[in-house]
Amino acid sequence: MNLFAWTMAWRETRAGWRHFVYFVVSVAVGVGALVTVSAFATSVERTVTREARSLLGGDIEIRTSRPLSAEGQAVLSEVQSRGYRMTHVSELIAMAAVPGDAQGAPAGHTTQVVELKAVDPAYPLYGAVGVEPAQSLAALLGVRDGCRSQPCPGAVVQESLLIRLGLRPGDEIKIGQATFSIRGVITKEPDRMANAFSLGPRVVISQAGLQAAELVKPGSRVRERYLLRAGGDPVLLPLVHELRGRLAAESARVSTYREAQPQLKRFLEQLTRYLGLVGLTALFVGGIGVATTVHAFVREKLQSIAVLKTLGATTPLVVQIYVVQALVLALVGSAAGALFGLSVQGALPSLLRTTFGMDLLDQLEFSGRWGDWSGFLVVAKGLALGVLTALLFTLWPVLAIRDIRPSVILRRLTVQTPDSGSPGKTRFPAWRRRPTLDPLRVSASAVILVGLTGLAMWQAGSWRVGSLYLGGLLGAVLVLHQAARWLIRGLRALPPVRSLVLRYALGNIHRPGSQAVGVMMAIGLALMVIVSVSLLERALVEQVTTTRPTDAPTYFFIDIQPDQREGVLELLHRHTGTSGLEALPLLRSRLAAVDGEAIKLEAEQELPNDRPDERRRAWYQTREYVVTVLENLPKDNVVVSGTWWTPGEPSETPWVSIEEEAARSLGVEVGSTLSLDVQGTVVSAKVRSIRKVEWSNFSTNFYMIFSPGSLEGAPFTYVATVHTEPGQDLPLLQDMVVQFPNVTGIHIGDVLDGFARMLDRLSMAIHAVAFFSLISGVLVMATALSATRYRRLYESVILKALGATRSTIARSYASEYALLGLIAGVIGIGLANVLSWGLLEYLFDLSWSFQPSLLVASLLLTILLTVVVGFFGTYGILGRRPLAVLRYE
Amino acid sequence: MIRVRDVVMQLAGGGHTLTVLDHVSLEIPDKQTVAIVGPSGSGKSTLLGLMAGLDRPTSGTIEINGVELSSMSESALAEFRRDTIGYVFQAFHLIPTLTALENVAVPLELQADPRAHSRAAELLMAVGLGDRRQHYPVQLSGGEQQRVAIARAFACRPPILLADEPTGNLDSAAGRQVLALLLDLHRDVGATLVLVTHELEIAHTMERVITLKDGRIESDRFLRPEGAAGGPP
Repeated sequence: MNLFAWTMAWRETRAGWRHFVYFVVSVAVGVGALVTVSAFATSVERTVTREARSLLGGDIEIRTSRPLSAEGQAVLSEVQSRGYRMTHVSELIAMAAVPGDAQGAPAGHTTQVVELKAVDPAYPLYGAVGVEPAQSLAALLGVRDGCRSQPCPGAVVQESLLIRLGLRPGDEIKIGQATFSIRGVITKEPDRMANAFSLGPRVVISQAGLQAAELVKPGSRVRERYLLRAGGDPVLLPLVHELRGRLAAESARVSTYREAQPQLKRFLEQLTRYLGLVGLTALFVGGIGVATTVHAFVREKLQSIAVLKTLGATTPLVVQIYVVQALVLALVGSAAGALFGLSVQGALPSLLRTTFGMDLLDQLEFSGRWGDWSGFLVVAKGLALGVLTALLFTLWPVLAIRDIRPSVILRRLTVQTPDSGSPGKTRFPAWRRRPTLDPLRVSASAVILVGLTGLAMWQAGSWRVGSLYLGGLLGAVLVLHQAARWLIRGLRALPPVRSLVLRYALGNIHRPGSQAVGVMMAIGLALMVIVSVSLLERALVEQVTTTRPTDAPTYFFIDIQPDQREGVLELLHRHTGTSGLEALPLLRSRLAAVDGEAIKLEAEQELPNDRPDERRRAWYQTREYVVTVLENLPKDNVVVSGTWWTPGEPSETPWVSIEEEAARSLGVEVGSTLSLDVQGTVVSAKVRSIRKVEWSNFSTNFYMIFSPGSLEGAPFTYVATVHTEPGQDLPLLQDMVVQFPNVTGIHIGDVLDGFARMLDRLSMAIHAVAFFSLISGVLVMATALSATRYRRLYESVILKALGATRSTIARSYASEYALLGLIAGVIGIGLANVLSWGLLEYLFDLSWSFQPSLLVASLLLTILLTVVVGFFGTYGILGRRPLAVLRYE
Repeated sequence: MIRVRDVVMQLAGGGHTLTVLDHVSLEIPDKQTVAIVGPSGSGKSTLLGLMAGLDRPTSGTIEINGVELSSMSESALAEFRRDTIGYVFQAFHLIPTLTALENVAVPLELQADPRAHSRAAELLMAVGLGDRRQHYPVQLSGGEQQRVAIARAFACRPPILLADEPTGNLDSAAGRQVLALLLDLHRDVGATLVLVTHELEIAHTMERVITLKDGRIESDRFLRPEGAAGGPP
């Protein structure tokens, strides 16, 4: 590249740095958003990878939904004898209660759903459990004196349990049939899977304690995990394959620490990928700012460019000057953004913990430090995205340089840009008119499009998501652009307004060379993102909280044993007065074969991310199915294929009815045979019908329903739902814990609140990143104002010279900015409604509803924002004295 | 040698066509000093601009030192100007973001002259602005700006110097100073000097005066033999 181009680029920048502050900041904001997101993603992923063993709790995990049989135990003992250490962990949901005569419990808070975990002395194989007081876990959980005069097992609990039940270490707690002494508070648990969604506080007890509690009955919802640790670093896969073979009869899932985290990783990956796309939107909005700056700059440089051409600079050389300049400024902006992203990084963990209360970060040894190349990669990617985006958005306005004729300086000419209209009236057009399909411009547009697509795909990590995102974005940009132009044209067509203030304001928006379209696009785009997220969140939260019918069940009780069914129903009837209560039989099972073809259990985890259909199929193949037996078709279920069995119909073969999506993913039709592994016994049934299920109706819904009599003798447990009035639930729960300690009562409101809270956190994260787009949008407006600053100054002093007061001019500016905000707001919010409607209708399968309060509030805030930004951009002009300005003319 | 043959320049606009130059032909031999005079709108500046290749005529040809301008691409024209033509504008047209020194250095830098800055400094010294090198155009008076512009036009020692109303924006004292400078440099460098003016006093310092009216040559007079340009009046 020509040295002269570099020299001139430096000189131009030196002189116009104020101009380029906006350029640099526009790029920096977008890159900052992206680097923040991807640096966070990288360090979390690194942590997950680094701590994969302790997150799983071992090198190999064998997971089943029931205790291993004697044969299975024998296999594990044999493996242990080869030098592997093993620990056995059981996890289940249970009720914890304050024993009847305990002191200090706040009235009405004597029971609590807990996530119970039973461990043996070998636990943990990797990492350490954090407990206060700092003693060995085995010692804390062992049986010793503590429960009044009697020896009893110990428990360590999460602090939230103590707060909710008003307990202190040393107090007693009853779980199932056993009483435990609380011996400590758990602060860190290495293998608690990162879980944004939890049903209750953690309680850790010993395996012996779990037996004493008598909670694990046939069919109980328990997760049994057997963890193995090898000495040294042996190859694990042969052992995994061996175990899969030898434990096939146990329906056990065997995985290594390498494959164990894909769920978590995938969640984080997807979250950060979508956050990244929101960040990319901020960068693209910043791109509009870059284009606005360069466009205004080139227009201002018209004379200088013509002079350079007269002095013998060729057009390619002049173009080079401004491309070099854009490149350097983009680099500076990107570097500033990256620096910002990295510096926020250090503060992010604590920020996230306080804002989102994310369990994940508590469990991970998370640090904002960089010890390897990943930090470099994140920065390099941010720089590349920033520079490329800036160059892409510079390309078009810089190409206009070609069209500046050197003869422009022969006369004092009206400065006309190609897009500012009425060229026919100018005797000496400063710009040559080119045909619309000018080859260089067409190829530049193609380069821009390919570049944008590449950037979007790079960020999205998948061509499908990338092109979907870009398609949506381009569509939105086009609509915004057209809508803005039409509205501005509409303003021009209005009959003349009498008020000078308003006429001048309108004129500033629709005059030739006004930057209103760019500003409206930028602000509209940012608004679209933010309002869409709000609308989606509101629709989802409303769906789970407010649309619940008032007589819907408030509690469901799980793990009711067959011999407890009558008793539990009677208890529920006594407390709530509801008659005709029923308990649904439940059976936990896995798919063993479809039409005689056996299912491979580990399929899902080993499939790559970019094959969503196969992943979904694998998910349906390997998940646990809770099935039931029903005589009648449940309410809100519609048979879409086949027929429902008639009550009392004699059946020789068992029938099953399967849910539509599951049937499609599994490739099952009416007449297919499904084989299910029910607690070790394989049961086959013929598909009789395929159902459509209304999942959001707050009833208990099932993927698979069996015909009456088809699962005789299977180890059913029962679930009962009941609607309680305020005041009924506490005595009910207390009685339930005393009479049926193994039955767990879960408050549906708590579950839904948990869901709403999780949604709230997610939407906060998205909003935080989307906020960067808004900053970019505001910057575009500030850029446009600064580009028209001189013209405004000149006009304002002329108006003053003609007798306009400062307040007249100020009111006119305020009306202009308010109008700008109004139009941008209406378009952006309109698009947000279309976008959220589309997403809700087609992606979430929910109905869209009009949210007037949210929309009006967004619109008013937008108008306020544009007026404030405009005020700061132009208030300096208002105080200038006419003569001082005109003297320089 | 500048050879203008049958040049017509028409500008379209406002629904009708305006003929700025109407079949103009003339020849200017090397090293001659020529004034082009005429009332406003007679096409003087347009003719000068066409000689510099700043625009293309509607018809006719312009040939400079045997090279026909209309056959050249825009980039070739730019390089041709860099090497052959010095141009002085009525409105000076210094680049506002560059210092006086940098403004003068631009044509030299475009020629990739490694001594661009020291030569520019010498030229500024020659026009009497040795102490104003680091000043920006806004910090200079009109006369000083025009002297910088003249130094810039002479920087590459072009064989042809075109000046469009070089004194038009200056008061008479500064105007005289600038004219004297142009003539001095013309003598030193030995370049052809074509100057557009509407002041007869200035025109009469040239060897030859061409009068344009309504886009046509009205008269073409030689005031004194070639190579004997007068000093400022």
